[in-house]
Amino acid sequence: MATTASASRNFATDRSKARLGRNVERWLLFAAVLALTLVVLLPVLIIVFTAFKPAAEINAYPPTLVPGQWTTANFARIFSDLPFARLFLNSFLFAGGVTAFALVFDSLAAYALARLDFRGSRALLIVIVASLMIPFQATLIPIYQLVGNLGWVNTFAGLIAPRAADAFGIFFLRQFFLSLPRDLDNAARIDGASEFRVFRSVVLPNAVPALLTLGIFTFVNNWNDLLWPLIFTTTPDMGTITSGLTLLTGPSGIIPYGTMMAGSLIAVAPLALIYLLVQRRFIESVATTGLK
Amino acid sequence: MTSTVKPNAKAYRPPAPLGGRTPIRTARQSAGIAIPFLLPALIVLAAFVAWPMISALRLSFTDSSGFGAEQWIGFDNYIRIFTDPQILGTLSTTALYAVLFTPIALIGALALALLLNNARLPGRGIFRTALFLPFIVSLAVAAFAWSYLLDPQVGLLNYWLRTVGIHIGNVLQDPVLAMPTVVLVAVWKSFGFYMVIFIAGLQDIPVSLYEAARIDGAGAWARFRNVTLPQLSNTLAFVVIFAMIAALQAFDQIYVLTGGGPYRTTQTVVMEIYQEGFKKLNLGLASALSYVLLLATLILSIVQFRFFGRREKDLT
Amino acid sequence: MKKLIAAIAVVAGATFALAGCSGAGGGAAPSAAHVDLTFWHGYTEADGKVLDQIVDDFNKSQSQVTITTTTKTWAVIGDTLLPALSAKQGPDIVALPAENLPVYATKGAFVKLDDFYAAETTKAANLNPRAVDMVKVNGSYYGVPTGFVPLSVIYNKTLFAKAGITSFPTTWDEWLAAAKKLTLDPTGSGTPEQYGLALPDHATVGNGVWASLFYGNGGDIVTDNKSVVDSAANAETLKFWSDAVIKDHISPTGLDGVASDKLFSSGKAAMEVGGPWMAFVATDAKIDYGVAAIPAGPKAQAASAIGISAAVTTQADAAKQAGAEKFFDYLYSKDVATKWSLGSGWPPLRTDIPAADVASNPVVSALTAIAGTARPLLPGVANSVDVLAAVDEATQKSLAGGDPVALLSTSSGKVKSALAK
Repeated sequence: MATTASASRNFATDRSKARLGRNVERWLLFAAVLALTLVVLLPVLIIVFTAFKPAAEINAYPPTLVPGQWTTANFARIFSDLPFARLFLNSFLFAGGVTAFALVFDSLAAYALARLDFRGSRALLIVIVASLMIPFQATLIPIYQLVGNLGWVNTFAGLIAPRAADAFGIFFLRQFFLSLPRDLDNAARIDGASEFRVFRSVVLPNAVPALLTLGIFTFVNNWNDLLWPLIFTTTPDMGTITSGLTLLTGPSGIIPYGTMMAGSLIAVAPLALIYLLVQRRFIESVATTGLK
Repeated sequence: MTSTVKPNAKAYRPPAPLGGRTPIRTARQSAGIAIPFLLPALIVLAAFVAWPMISALRLSFTDSSGFGAEQWIGFDNYIRIFTDPQILGTLSTTALYAVLFTPIALIGALALALLLNNARLPGRGIFRTALFLPFIVSLAVAAFAWSYLLDPQVGLLNYWLRTVGIHIGNVLQDPVLAMPTVVLVAVWKSFGFYMVIFIAGLQDIPVSLYEAARIDGAGAWARFRNVTLPQLSNTLAFVVIFAMIAALQAFDQIYVLTGGGPYRTTQTVVMEIYQEGFKKLNLGLASALSYVLLLATLILSIVQFRFFGRREKDLT
Repeated sequence: MKKLIAAIAVVAGATFALAGCSGAGGGAAPSAAHVDLTFWHGYTEADGKVLDQIVDDFNKSQSQVTITTTTKTWAVIGDTLLPALSAKQGPDIVALPAENLPVYATKGAFVKLDDFYAAETTKAANLNPRAVDMVKVNGSYYGVPTGFVPLSVIYNKTLFAKAGITSFPTTWDEWLAAAKKLTLDPTGSGTPEQYGLALPDHATVGNGVWASLFYGNGGDIVTDNKSVVDSAANAETLKFWSDAVIKDHISPTGLDGVASDKLFSSGKAAMEVGGPWMAFVATDAKIDYGVAAIPAGPKAQAASAIGISAAVTTQADAAKQAGAEKFFDYLYSKDVATKWSLGSGWPPLRTDIPAADVASNPVVSALTAIAGTARPLLPGVANSVDVLAAVDEATQKSLAGGDPVALLSTSSGKVKSALAK
């Protein structure tokens, strides 16, 4: 390591120059992403600020972004005019129920399609994917008739059962399972593990990012779904947040925007929180995978 | 190569993977094992997906309104679809929407996923959550926010641009600009969804592959093309097909932003299905149109699948 | 695999059969007197409370009929009525926007109420005949009106005072002159800072703004199930107002009903053609407003009406139908009709209620005074969706600079094929 004094000095400045270059790159990247994020979030900021604006200011010209006059009246109205706790619980049971069932049923089916080579698996996959290609407006009425015949209208069974497994989830997880190398599960099979054991102990732990992703999507989509709870529930106490908020509509369909935004913020906050917590788990899960 | 004897689990097992006999199952055995895995999902899908689809198919051959009397009219609905220029127009409008939406949404989502997967970016978690927010707000609420921005008379954007002398017209009521605007809002709303799928896929690429490539002297673009893309190919195949299917079924954003206008320039197939079925109570016609859409989507998907299948072979 | 699917189908089929057997909704024969009815309506907030109170009072006033109301918004009723009826889970009585009634009636969703209208009590109720026209389809009555109000002009008194206009215009010429006076472009940029009139060119309020203008010049959209869209009178009307917008800039283009509401409530438009709810919006926006009739056109003083109708669905059996008709009798009795008018903010449905009785609500009395000018929109036309889309295209393109005559001619063709379907 012995060098002349001048050579070692150059070495040190090269290294710190490189570090500086890396830091500049880091902060430029940060600035670019920050700018992009702010632009993308502008509509979301409007939603947030509108929730705190009085009605007169929302309708006024010139328009404002940040409220000139902050108010919590919109939020107060949500809690006073709606059975909010009940609606929140219903939303949670509905979205949570669908997510729980879908994750279990979809991953089981996806495992079979990805890892078990049985006759007709390709045909089954095509049929499942094909079912994604018909718009729900066409199947809504037959589904509703079936749920009605089962006596499940206005029950959690009626809300959750039709969505307890879905083609999207099966397809998504199947693709993900395919991308996992077979070495690990083959090793387990050689060790005599049953297929279910392989599924539970080898494949699932490695599929945590995909499961979390699917879980988030399913939960968000069902939490925000408006038409489904509107159609399948008939009494106010079975409604969800989204369907409940529609009842705040004024005479002849005037929408109280401030209150709607406030209601949506309350509805979205848990989703954002869940996502913030979960996406950290993605990073952790990579560190624990058994892949070299 | 089929072995008919499964090695006894308690017998001598040579250390895997050298010399070990990989138990290879016969096709029939696999079917038996597969059934318990498939059964729960299949029951739900058979009852609530397959049966309604068959029901809808049957309806497409009738003049049903959903309730009341219905009559079998054979292929009349389908003939009507292919001879009515207005309905045919919705097919091409939908194709235009899909062609605009899919590449923009996916390229944007992939680029952001790569950025947000970059270990050198501070605050990745916050950015990931922030960029996911458009996906988790409901569309009706987002539509209000966009109209608050874009309204030509009282909108925020116009108000700000006025100070620099730019005046944006009524983009949502312009026959040429309405479609791109709707696509823009749709991309804004859904890119977070695709971005998260890509992040999950990227997370699963072993870092060792990148290191090996780096050692071999590959630059960033070469690493992307030779490591990232091939490793993501299963995810990509899925995302592209799903994004296209979703784009071909565009409805919510059209409904809240333009209602199909102006002059039906944003009238997509599902918007037409909704109006025929729910507003004009022509459920038979709506069902027929749904099946036309399904067939078109199926054909397009098969074409895409072939394309990806071919590429996969090229890459090995 | 095939066996599996077959097995599932059998199980599904069996479930069906069993569910059918167990029979939904306590199948015991209704006791001699009592019926329970469900009633869906879209009256939310304040008006909803009034209607629910009226239903409550009705339930208490007698023991044979009990009605339970479910409030959903009008849009939600539009989307959920069809699935509900298809699964026999719908309501017995449903209130819906008047223009949607014909399409459900022609498809057999609603019961004929001819006997109700033939009854003496109904005749004695002196219902507004034009309101009743809204529920007439192919010569039979399929519902009862629960709301009927002409479109009116809501105007910003403060802006009027600033422009020095002291009385509200009563003719089109006066109206145009006032609108021009109220259109201000201080910077000369070509885009006014303030518009005289918010004139939507598509999806207008109650789809009735242009219908009202056509009526004013003696024109119409559909008469005797024939298209009269391309009449010379309509061409004149369309040209008159297109010129006003394009040359005098009295209104922005591309507005729909919602956007024109917004423009007025932001204070950027001095006048707007709208419905009674604009009174609430204006109060919320702290605007000092006035309500006036749509100024008379060269040939007539007329306005298109916004209506809400209630119908009895075919799910209701004869006993339930009789119960529903009892409720309607109650609703149309003088006291209740007055109460409903004041509570809903819409004019009374009986023509024999004097203006004095509704004076406590100034908007209602103003609208009651002009109720005679209200005309039902496309009564009895089942395919109103396509007809209105065709008219919208003509008006929107005309205000964007197209040729009114050619546009109306094309639209008329579309209306003809829409009526034929």
